[in-house]
Formats: sequence, structure tokens, C-alpha cells
Amino acid sequence: MRPFDAQVQRVTEYVEFMRAQGRPTREFTVPRALDDLRASLPIRVGAGANPKIILRSETHVELGSPEAGSCAMVLWTDRPSMIRDGAITLIGPDVAEAAGSSLPFGQIVLVGGAELGPDEHQSIGHAQYVADQIEGYMVRSSSRSIWSRVSTQAAQKGFSFDTLGRSLMVVFKSSLPKVQAMEVVFVTSSKDDVLRLNDIAQVASDIGAEIVKEHWKARGFDLECDLDCRSCHDKDVCDDVRKILAGRLKKKRTADAQRAS
Amino acid sequence: MHDKHNKDAIEKSLNRYKKERDWFAFLLQAAEMMDTPEGKLQVKLLRILIDSKEKVIDCSENGKPFIAAYYCTAPELFTAMDLPWFMIMETPFLAASAPYITEDLEGTEEIGLGTDLCTAIRLPIYYIETGQMPVPTAVIGLLSPCDGTTMLQQVLRHNSAWKNVPLFSPDPPYSSDERAIKYFANELRQMVRFIEEHTGHKLDIDRLREVCEESNRCYSLWQEYNELRRAVPCPHGWEIGGAQAFAVSQCFKAGDPRCTDWFRQLVECGEEKIKAGRGANDYAPERIRLLWFDIMPYGWIFEFMPWLEFEWGAILVTDMFSNFPYTLIDTSSEETMFHDLAKRNLMDVPMIRQARGTAENFSSDIVRLVKDYKIDAVIWPGHMGHKDGAATAGIMRATCRDIGVPFLHIGLDLFDRRYTSVDEVKDKVSQFFTGMGLG
Repeated sequence: MRPFDAQVQRVTEYVEFMRAQGRPTREFTVPRALDDLRASLPIRVGAGANPKIILRSETHVELGSPEAGSCAMVLWTDRPSMIRDGAITLIGPDVAEAAGSSLPFGQIVLVGGAELGPDEHQSIGHAQYVADQIEGYMVRSSSRSIWSRVSTQAAQKGFSFDTLGRSLMVVFKSSLPKVQAMEVVFVTSSKDDVLRLNDIAQVASDIGAEIVKEHWKARGFDLECDLDCRSCHDKDVCDDVRKILAGRLKKKRTADAQRAS
Repeated sequence: MHDKHNKDAIEKSLNRYKKERDWFAFLLQAAEMMDTPEGKLQVKLLRILIDSKEKVIDCSENGKPFIAAYYCTAPELFTAMDLPWFMIMETPFLAASAPYITEDLEGTEEIGLGTDLCTAIRLPIYYIETGQMPVPTAVIGLLSPCDGTTMLQQVLRHNSAWKNVPLFSPDPPYSSDERAIKYFANELRQMVRFIEEHTGHKLDIDRLREVCEESNRCYSLWQEYNELRRAVPCPHGWEIGGAQAFAVSQCFKAGDPRCTDWFRQLVECGEEKIKAGRGANDYAPERIRLLWFDIMPYGWIFEFMPWLEFEWGAILVTDMFSNFPYTLIDTSSEETMFHDLAKRNLMDVPMIRQARGTAENFSSDIVRLVKDYKIDAVIWPGHMGHKDGAATAGIMRATCRDIGVPFLHIGLDLFDRRYTSVDEVKDKVSQFFTGMGLG
């Protein structure tokens, strides 16, 4: 099953389009092995790495606020060859260039693993919400988008989107052993550029919703009601009610007509 | 004679409402004696609440237009139209701790209302049937999230004092896609036309823009405050936070600068406590971080919530009404404002979000909240009226099992302590915490 392959391809096309449009684009190639990734980071990554929340006064840059624009998605495939493992692409300004500002934020995580399937879908999606796992980085608690903060302290340590990409790779690869390849794309160039990703994100979200629905169904839970009247247990009662209402309406009209005459 | 009869009916319909206003005035007196930043917040909230009640009383007594509506029927529109409003269901939500409530609950049984009907619906029906609810100029009805609310509107149609009061109920679609949002946006437009026709109050789009921008400021601050509650220890417990934020942002006068001021102060309070490393209270250190996934038990809150904190160090870090995807309203045009008001009121507002939508909302919200707020235990109170939610208890339990967090389903009445006694609830919670090795 390859539900997201077409969207992965669209992301590749999007990056090429942005490059062709002259957007400042940077590419970083980072170690692929988990241990090497960890060793390459200037910050801590793992459970409790960012134990405190980042207050407004401690923020170096805000990413993906509702005003600035945000779009995030995780796309998986069971064809790792579709993913450029270890590649991080940044379209737009980096953290150091955005002190004190609020940037639009697009985050696309592409993961590939031969054994990835619908059963892993929810875990893969949840992994992007890193909670306290990245030192100096806090993803705000919002179910709709990635809205996050980089702390002043982390920025002073050299936190960049390269750092964030590597950190996400550590988080994903350590919590999802079936992930064999991972690529991350960040977009901070403009709100329009970020919102352009919504087309892909919406399709991915719809596909994901179907996968989740089937996942729960397989466990014996129906997330949605069957809305078809033909399968409803109460159809006979419903039909009778309609007949009664129609009869009353007819009676009322007759009575009104008689009164009028 | 007719005028005297009318005057007597109005007076009777306002008696209970005034008694409720007086109850809050009493609470305000108590709050004014609290010399803490949180105490001052309670004072501001109560003043906004009492002011909104006084306006309804003034309108009722002096024949001015006012409406009955709900927090999820775009209250920003009512503010923009300068139209006082109240919620038919506000007593169980706001005043369930009032000392006369038990008597009123007994009254619901005396007039023959089934005790399996949600108390939040049963109480207003009782008030309506016994002439103890102010009769507005027009009613905006609510058709979601449950069958009980739909039935409440039917009660109005059969009651002699209410049957001739114009009623419009925006129709909520089942789905939550763009088509559903546009459909509901059109329903809100029809609602505005209905209100204009029956009250004479008109909607000015520029004024709506001002109100929505103010409302956006409130929600932005609320979002900021919600982040603060992720701190360990949590800066506030059950006494201040989600329930009040919900009430201030939606239940009194949405998009009012006083509400933004309240939120600004709320955020400052929270930040100060976090910088000082202080938890919800100074005498019961935080040992358990709770997600209470429903409305708080307003009917017996003072007997239960402090006990949770003192006995177990269990801090209500977040609840169903606290943490939502309150997306901001795009105020660039009339169309975007109606679109985003529709989205907010169809998909974001608490309870509607979970109970109207698919069951996946229960599951995904729990996963996110547990992770972000470092939740130690999830409690689904299992309110007797939340039968729609009851159907998803299995999904919630399975979700919690998947993410490795203890889950408790109690079975109680959030507003009536007689259904499951407070002692029974305490016992169940204690056994749960003990069994799970918490606290």
C-alpha cells in the first residue's frame, strides 16, 4: 500500500518550483546513522531535553503563528528509495537571520521504510509533535499546525533549521525503528509559499483520516455513523412519522381552506 | 389587567435570574477580599458576568430587545449587533454551585422530567415550564451536539409563554470539511437576518471586524496561557484557567476589550508563577498531572476539586474546555469573517468539537494533550447526559492504553451530587490512583 507516494512526488516538485522561482534555497546533508546524528548536535535531544516551557520573553523566533502562516505534514512510503535520506532543505531565512521575528513555517517530513504501513501511520504522525524532546525548541500545543518557538539560549548555541532537521531525524529514527530513510523540508520564505503547501497537506490529511478510520474499524470501533437510510434500523419508524406528519398537514390545509370559504 | 398579568409574569420569570445574579454578587464580595493576582482575576470575571446579567434584566423589565442564544452560535455577532443575550442553559454551567440548585433539581422531578435526561437540559426545561426563565425577544436554538439540546428547542415550541417567541436554529452539518463550513456560514448569515428582523438591531460589518479582532486578541492570549499550563509544576489548578477562560471568551460578551484585559492579566499571572517556580498552590505540591476530559463537576466542585489537590496532589492541568484549536478569524472581508466564525463554532468550540464531530476527535485530542501537558492520568467523568461521549469510552480507553497512560471512566452527574455521591467519586478516584501507583 503506497497511499502517500503521489504526495511525496508533489513535494519534490514543489521544492523544484520554489528553486525555479528564485527563492533562497539551502541544502544540508547530515549523517544518516542515529548515533552519528546525535553526536553532531549542539543541543540535547530526547525525552525531557527541553523540560521548561519557553516564555514570550525568552523567544528568539516564533515559527508558524496563525498570522504568519503554518503548514506541516508527515508523508511516509514503503519505498525508501523515494526519500533522500539525510537531506534537509531550507527555503527562506534561517533562525540566525530572524531574531525577534515571527516567521511563516512549513515543515514537511518525508519518511521511508520497507516495513512501514497503515499500522504505523498514527505513530508517524504523532512523532512530529516533539513536546519536550528538543532543547530550546517548543512546539505549541495546537492540533491544527506546527506553531513553535526557538529560545534565545538555543539560538546562542547555534540552533538552526539544520539543527532542527537533525533533531527531528533523531526523534523519528529513535522512536520509529522501521524508518530507514528520512528527509525534511522547511519553508520560511513567505506566508503564500507556506500556504501553497496546503493543497498537498489537505490531500494527505484526507488519506490519513481514511487510514485512521480503517485502523479503528479493524479494532472493532466505528468512528463514523452509517448515514444511509437504507441501512438504518429505525427506517420503518421514520417512514411512519413522515406519513403521520403528511396526514396532519393535509388535515390542517383542509381545515384552513374550509375556514377561509 | 393584561398589563398587570404581563408584569407579574415578567417579574416571576426574572426572580430566579435575579437570585442567580445576587449569588454572583455575593461571590464578588468574597473575591474582592482576596488579595492575590488570581483573586483580582475572579473579581474582573464576576464583574463582566454580573454586567451581562444586569443588561438582560434591564431589557426584560423595560421591553428592550434581547435574545437567548449559545456560546457556539457565534456570540461575536451579538456583540457586534450590541444585543444583550443569555444562555438558556447557563445555570448548570455557571451557577450549579448555588445553594438553591438541589431544590430546583427536585423540582425537575416533581414536574415529571425523566432523571435520565441530562441535568444541563433538565434544569432549563424546569425553569421554562414553571415560568422562571426570562422570555426573550427571539431565540437562537442549538441543534448539536446532542439530542437533548434539540429536544430543548422543541420544549420552547410547546410552552405557552415561549411558543410565539421567534426561533431560529442554525443547522449544523455532520461533516467538518470546507463544504460544511460554507454551509454553516450561510446558516449564520440567515441567523443574522433573523435577528435583525425580530430585534431591530443591525449588523455593521466594520463593527463586526472590530469585535472579531478583539476576539482574536483574546484567543491569542488564551493560546499563550494554555502553553503556560504545560510547565511543571503547573502554575494554576482547577480554580483558575480553562473554565473561566471559556466563560470570559464566549459566554458573556465575546470580543469585548474587558475580556482581552482579563486574558492579559491571566497570562501575566501565569508567567510570574512560572518564573518563581511556583505550582498551583503552595501547600499541596503537584504529584499527579490530570486531564479531566469533560466539563468540571460544577454541581459539587468545592467538595471535590480541593480534595483532589490536598489529598492526592492531583492538579487539573487541562480539561476539555481549556485546550482547543481556536484558529483566529480572518477579518479581511465579510466572507472570510463568516467563514471563520462558522469554522470556529462548528469545529473548534468545546464539546461541539468532540461530540458533533467524529469520534476521532476524542482520540486525537487525548494523544496530543497527554504528550504536550505531561499528563499522568486521564479521567473521563462519564457524565450521565453525555451519552454521545459514552459511546466513545472504548475508543478513549484503547487510545490511552496505546499511549501508556492510565484511564478512568467514573459515571456521574456533573451537576447533581445525588446521582453518584461525592464520596463514591472520591473512593473510585482514590482506588484508581492507588492501583496505578500514582501520587
